[in-house]
Amino acid sequence: MDKDVAQALLRTMWRIRLFEERVGQLKRSLQVHGLIHLSIGGEGVATAVCGQLRDDDAVYSGHRAHGHAIAKGAPIDRMMAELMGRESGICHGLGGSMHLVDIEHGFMGATGVVGGNLPLALGTALTQHLNGTDQVTVVFFGDGAVQAGHFSESVNLAALWKLPVIFVCENNGMAEFTSREEHSTIERVSDVVAPYGFERTTVNGSDVPAVYDAFEQFLTKARSGAGPYLLECVTYRRRGHYEGDPEKYRDPVAEQEWAERDPLARMRARAIDEAWIDEASIEAIERDAAAEIEEAVRFARDSPFPDPQTTAALVYAQ
Amino acid sequence: MEQLDNDRLVWMFTQMLRIREFEERVKRTFEEHPGVIRGHTHLADGAEASIVGSIATMKPGDQLMATYRCHGYPIALGTDTKSIMAEIYGRKDGLCGGYGGSMHLIDPERGFLGTSGIVGQGIPQATGVAFAAQLRKQGQVVLSFFGDGASKQGAFHESLNLASLWKLPVVYVMENNNYNVSTRSEQEDANAANGEPLSIKATAYSMPGVTVDGGDPVAVYEAVGAAADRARAGEGPTLVESKVYRLSAHGNIIAPPGVPLHYPEHEAITTFGNREEYEAALRGDPVPRFRARLVEQGVLDPSRADEIAKEVTEEMDGAVQFALDSKFPEPEAAARNDYVYA
Amino acid sequence: MAREIPYIAAVQEAIRVEMERDPTVVFYGQDVAPSDEDPLVQAFGRERVRVSPISETAEIGMAVGLALAGYRPVVELLMAEFMLVAMNQVVNEAPRLRYMSGGQVKVPAVFKAGYGFTAGWAGQHTGSIYGMFMGFPGLKIALPATPADAKGLMAAAIRDDNPVCYLINYLMVLEHGDVPEGEYVVPFGEAAIRREGSDVTIVATGWTVGRALEAAETLSKEGINAEVIDPRTLNPLDTATILASVEKTGRLVIADQGTRHGGASAVISAEVAEHGFGSLKAPIAQVTALDVTVPYSEPMEAYVLPNEEKIALSVRQVLGEAPVAA
Repeated sequence: MDKDVAQALLRTMWRIRLFEERVGQLKRSLQVHGLIHLSIGGEGVATAVCGQLRDDDAVYSGHRAHGHAIAKGAPIDRMMAELMGRESGICHGLGGSMHLVDIEHGFMGATGVVGGNLPLALGTALTQHLNGTDQVTVVFFGDGAVQAGHFSESVNLAALWKLPVIFVCENNGMAEFTSREEHSTIERVSDVVAPYGFERTTVNGSDVPAVYDAFEQFLTKARSGAGPYLLECVTYRRRGHYEGDPEKYRDPVAEQEWAERDPLARMRARAIDEAWIDEASIEAIERDAAAEIEEAVRFARDSPFPDPQTTAALVYAQ
Repeated sequence: MEQLDNDRLVWMFTQMLRIREFEERVKRTFEEHPGVIRGHTHLADGAEASIVGSIATMKPGDQLMATYRCHGYPIALGTDTKSIMAEIYGRKDGLCGGYGGSMHLIDPERGFLGTSGIVGQGIPQATGVAFAAQLRKQGQVVLSFFGDGASKQGAFHESLNLASLWKLPVVYVMENNNYNVSTRSEQEDANAANGEPLSIKATAYSMPGVTVDGGDPVAVYEAVGAAADRARAGEGPTLVESKVYRLSAHGNIIAPPGVPLHYPEHEAITTFGNREEYEAALRGDPVPRFRARLVEQGVLDPSRADEIAKEVTEEMDGAVQFALDSKFPEPEAAARNDYVYA
Repeated sequence: MAREIPYIAAVQEAIRVEMERDPTVVFYGQDVAPSDEDPLVQAFGRERVRVSPISETAEIGMAVGLALAGYRPVVELLMAEFMLVAMNQVVNEAPRLRYMSGGQVKVPAVFKAGYGFTAGWAGQHTGSIYGMFMGFPGLKIALPATPADAKGLMAAAIRDDNPVCYLINYLMVLEHGDVPEGEYVVPFGEAAIRREGSDVTIVATGWTVGRALEAAETLSKEGINAEVIDPRTLNPLDTATILASVEKTGRLVIADQGTRHGGASAVISAEVAEHGFGSLKAPIAQVTALDVTVPYSEPMEAYVLPNEEKIALSVRQVLGEAPVAA
């Protein structure tokens, strides 16, 4: 892996990790409110995928979207402000965690409805196909979304029309509070789409270089207008479904295994081993990320809340 | 499943002929008695072998749900064709008192628990009926009938996933006639576009998927029968893709008031200009094909076959006449609160 | 024997009592009792208590099929908005099949979900969308506002032979109240007069009942005596009790968490305007959510919703004791 690429990946992963941990703290101290779903453990996939995309590529996500948005280029200060309900937030405080949008960087949106963005992703991919560009669409979703009917409807259409969409499934084996075997007889999502015959692969979501390489291959083909593709990343959700989730369903042995498979810890160790980066530079990255997050919190806290009267003005496009 | 003896084979032929003759009479009503049928009818001509072959597997207590193309199922189950025709004619002696019409037939006592007018939406309901059968533990099996168009609906996928997860006693019978109204399967289905059988979709749900010639009632009987045996033994669902050819257009035309309703030619001709495909299907018509086979095998005597045909014609003449003579419901019956609420 | 338990426990208790009483009741949905230690699983086993995947069309459609086949399903949908994913099954199938069959079948099914949880759950999880269901005859709607009603209306919903949308406001789940033990049924179509009064009628639904009672408290100190009526079910709707109250007081304020258009408040307003016109001494006033998607940020979220102050202000306006905004 190219050094600069590795360093950029690490930088983004650290920013996501620290952002999420800070948001978790803020949620517990009630400075962030509502339903918050953290991407801790998912930084590798978000970064390895979005880090290879341009602003004019489209990314859709689900309810666990902070990492995807940050990796796609959404400004951290305005994201923090959004979660803290401020007018300076990326959606002016209207959307919150599950409804983040950053059109400028091609982050088309998160959603609170599981799998709800899959059909939207098809629409964007269709326009890219019609316009004959080399832009692509990526849609992130979890293994829970696969059982929702709109997943199969979207997969059939994407395959039929050969759209330049890359389905990225983060299979963490859990949907809300139940494990995958209560949702489906098929363990691997790539096996669920097998009947449609398009290219798909399953990788270890905590092996960032592996995710990077697998996605790169699909991306190259998609840029020439081909598609669809499915990249399944096997991950593990390190926190509960949402912050505050009492998490009765965890297996302590699996937790220990995961601590050994944290994508950030692994990437850090690998980058040192391979001399993609040195210890001092890593520490600088970590310090910079921490400073950036604190600055974001300060920015958010200093920002005013929205004027309630403005709520009605945004219902309709003028 | 049981072996088909001669009596059973003749019974199957008779039911196929009854369905065919009934559907012909529905179609002829548009010409012979214009204005009598309102709304939308969808005929099963061409699918008789698949319908009868499937229903022949049913044991007492088994149930089925179907789509808006539903006339054939109650006919084969033994529902009085007079009351079915009267329902299609909107009369108060109709199967549902005139409340449902052609698309919403039902006969719970014979195990036919109804239909949906919305493509694919009866599949989860049939899955629920199978859930009930599993709870009841009386060895019931449920047949869920739908078309190839429904296999693009999320409802199809969600239901098959759940049924396989919980090993529900259901057989999903997809009557693949290659058309979804006027769209060909290859235009809307990734598998069809690849020249693959639609039964391949079953692999995503850990259930067996089989494709069978829906024009051969014995082949259908064997495929659905094997699936029903599996279900009855608690081994879960199966997807049976039964390949049929719909001999009429999707349905009578939809038209504003004042324009007479009728059946246009098949979409193969009107949309795709492919008269050859349609004529080949006519040549392969499953009803005369089965008759010829039974006669050739010595199972059915030609004069007996003619007798059956005559009885069926009389039956359907009677159904039409009964329906024409039946009164309409009182308008106030529309407001029956005990039909809105149990 | 009544004792104090939280609203959420009352709901669970109703399900358990009805499942004990009637072996045809089954309960399933996303995250319903994932663990085998769950009391319902312990009591009734995995046949009757199941966790299902995120498949609303199948979950609700299956309920229709179960009901047609003689069982009584209770489906946990978590949020009312998730019913929208399977809208066809909820409004075009479940409530219509009996009628279309000419009365041959019934569809006893309960679609259970939460609504209106204004805790920053944002635009897609916070709606109070039940008003739209009032337009589908055959579909009953229950909105319990107290723990006792949470139990009694759930029991009634399960025993009802028709499809029922049973909607609880998650803001109330920890509210405690007296709940009778054992079998307890609150009939549908019977409004509860939560507070008697003679100056104004406030009809309030679900969570707004508590807000209306708070407003009534405040107003009583101003010498205004408000009557608060909780319809409990939107379908069937007890218009008789509402009309009788308006005949007594001459003034009506309606509080509902849904939007102004196409909601419960509009239906109730129209009924009273038409059948109680002669009793009215002032125009009917509606205190509803603004017609916007519920925003995330807290001050905006609060701004959009009805609350105690807005209800009290509306009462003063209909009594002519406060100016009406243009």
